[in-house]
Amino acid sequence: MAKVPLYLILGGLIPSFAMPVLARWKRKACAPLAVIVCGSLFALALYLSGGMVGKLQPIYQAVADWSPPWGIEIAIEPVSALMAVLITGLYLLIALFSCRSLKKEISVDSIGWYYVEFLLCMTAMLGLVITHDIFNMYVFIEVVGISAVALVVSKGDRYSTEASLKYLILATIGSGFVLLAIGMLYMITGHLNMRFAGEVFAQNAGQYPYMIWVMMTLFVVGFGIKSALFPLHLWLPDAHASAPSPSSAILSGLVVKVYIIALFKLFFIVFGNEFYQQSNIRILLLILGGAAMLFGSFFAFVQLDLKRRLAYSTVAQLGYIYLGLGLATPWAIVAAFYHLVVHALMKTCLFLCAGAISYQTGRKKVTGLQNIGYTMPLTAASFTVAAFSMVGLPLTGGFISKYLLAVESMGAHYPYFIALLVLSGLLNAAYYFPIIWQFYFVNEKDPPERRVLQKDKIPFTMQLPIVVTAAGIIVLGTAGVAAYGYLQQIVVHFLG
Amino acid sequence: MNWGALIANFPYLVSVVVFGIGIIIVLTQSNLLKKVIGLNIMTSAVFLFYIAFGNIEGGVAPILDPAAPAELYINPLPSGLILTGIVVGFSTSAFALALIVKMYAHYGTINAPDFMKMR
Repeated sequence: MAKVPLYLILGGLIPSFAMPVLARWKRKACAPLAVIVCGSLFALALYLSGGMVGKLQPIYQAVADWSPPWGIEIAIEPVSALMAVLITGLYLLIALFSCRSLKKEISVDSIGWYYVEFLLCMTAMLGLVITHDIFNMYVFIEVVGISAVALVVSKGDRYSTEASLKYLILATIGSGFVLLAIGMLYMITGHLNMRFAGEVFAQNAGQYPYMIWVMMTLFVVGFGIKSALFPLHLWLPDAHASAPSPSSAILSGLVVKVYIIALFKLFFIVFGNEFYQQSNIRILLLILGGAAMLFGSFFAFVQLDLKRRLAYSTVAQLGYIYLGLGLATPWAIVAAFYHLVVHALMKTCLFLCAGAISYQTGRKKVTGLQNIGYTMPLTAASFTVAAFSMVGLPLTGGFISKYLLAVESMGAHYPYFIALLVLSGLLNAAYYFPIIWQFYFVNEKDPPERRVLQKDKIPFTMQLPIVVTAAGIIVLGTAGVAAYGYLQQIVVHFLG
Repeated sequence: MNWGALIANFPYLVSVVVFGIGIIIVLTQSNLLKKVIGLNIMTSAVFLFYIAFGNIEGGVAPILDPAAPAELYINPLPSGLILTGIVVGFSTSAFALALIVKMYAHYGTINAPDFMKMR
């Protein structure tokens, strides 16, 4: 048990750098190795978070035996353990999916290099989630950023190159902001360890009001650029739409989320819940989150490319998470966290479905999806479930988080956000339902007798992740009620 | 306005102004290479900021010499952090330059407005 948290990082790092060598020697072994690595890390994360049920006691571990105020410390909070399970679990599914689909999407020579970035990105995300040292967090942010850009550019065509350059430049500006803010935090507290910084911050917060305002704004803008908070989302649609579909699923489902988790940790471990409740930055998050919900959905509505539509939908859904963070009641934080998990499942499912549809039929436009419900019944059904969850229909995970957000915006005395939630939900319906309608009910080209149910003609390894994520959404929507109490315990513990 | 405080904190002012200049270069220049230069200026400003707050006037390098113990030691941590920051900045700009080379291979230009026309 002692060194387990460290293996969570090393376990991905070492295979990642072994990948190019392996690709020279035996290219076919790359994808299975990635699956095995993700699978074993998933088991490790399950073991860690399983040991945490009921106790809620964080596991602290000093790296290389340098004791905490000076050395780097790893801390597995219950929240980070859950995120580690989510990241590794989805990575396992996406790695399975990528085994067969990648060969069609990127050049065969670069498959070995692709898995370097693939595993490096997972390693850095796990590190970002479990680290307790602020500067170490910055390093992991950069590693996630660079490997995410590399995941986009791996396709190698001109659109993905352009999109990834845009992404790289904006992400670097974002991390510049974060680095400046970390410097200010260090000036105020004199510690880089989150716990110790938090203790000093609680004592000193009154002395430097202007500096704290600047610092919090820099943190929010920096992480806002990286996690595509609404007016700073400009890089997201291009990058997510032009990447290969496993990369899109990772970027949209996980990468933008871990930055929000980093913000969570900064807000609630370093600044403290009490301070955060009184700060004005909360209002900014509310306004930008609300704007994201509305405009993200609206922009998604006018897109014709399927993956672009999904990418803009991500902007809107990130608005929900920021809204929950801005409302800042304990249940709103629970809702934000729940939505984060559900959205990771939904977006992974949707992007994998988009990848599977273009794998089998080659169709990429939202106007050309007729009869998919008959030629690819399982994929279409999974897509439907995920889309229903996006809209927030009952029995899906999306319903619970949106319902909770609506209740909490009442409870936090911002009732007009309910109107915004409803409007955004309706817009979601307006751009997802035409796709589903085409799947099942549009048959202008094909005569009715050809509309017989067939089997999906995609490999089993591609089918399984899609079905599993769709099932996960249903489970979160029905049995998820049982997970509530536990989540609330975790979040209340986290808020301190 | 307290000018004395401003002059005493001159390095911070300089670093923030340089940071702003860097961002303006990134956002307004259309040449991709100039954008990367802007990024470098921006990160250099952050490094300056770190070194400025790590420094103490009259302090010496934190090497413990039992023969001549000094009164003031400079905090070595910010400089150490910036060493990491420089490496990160270097790798980011190397990656950006590699991407620009690839853009040139695809489009034949590195001027951003021209990409829009070629779509």
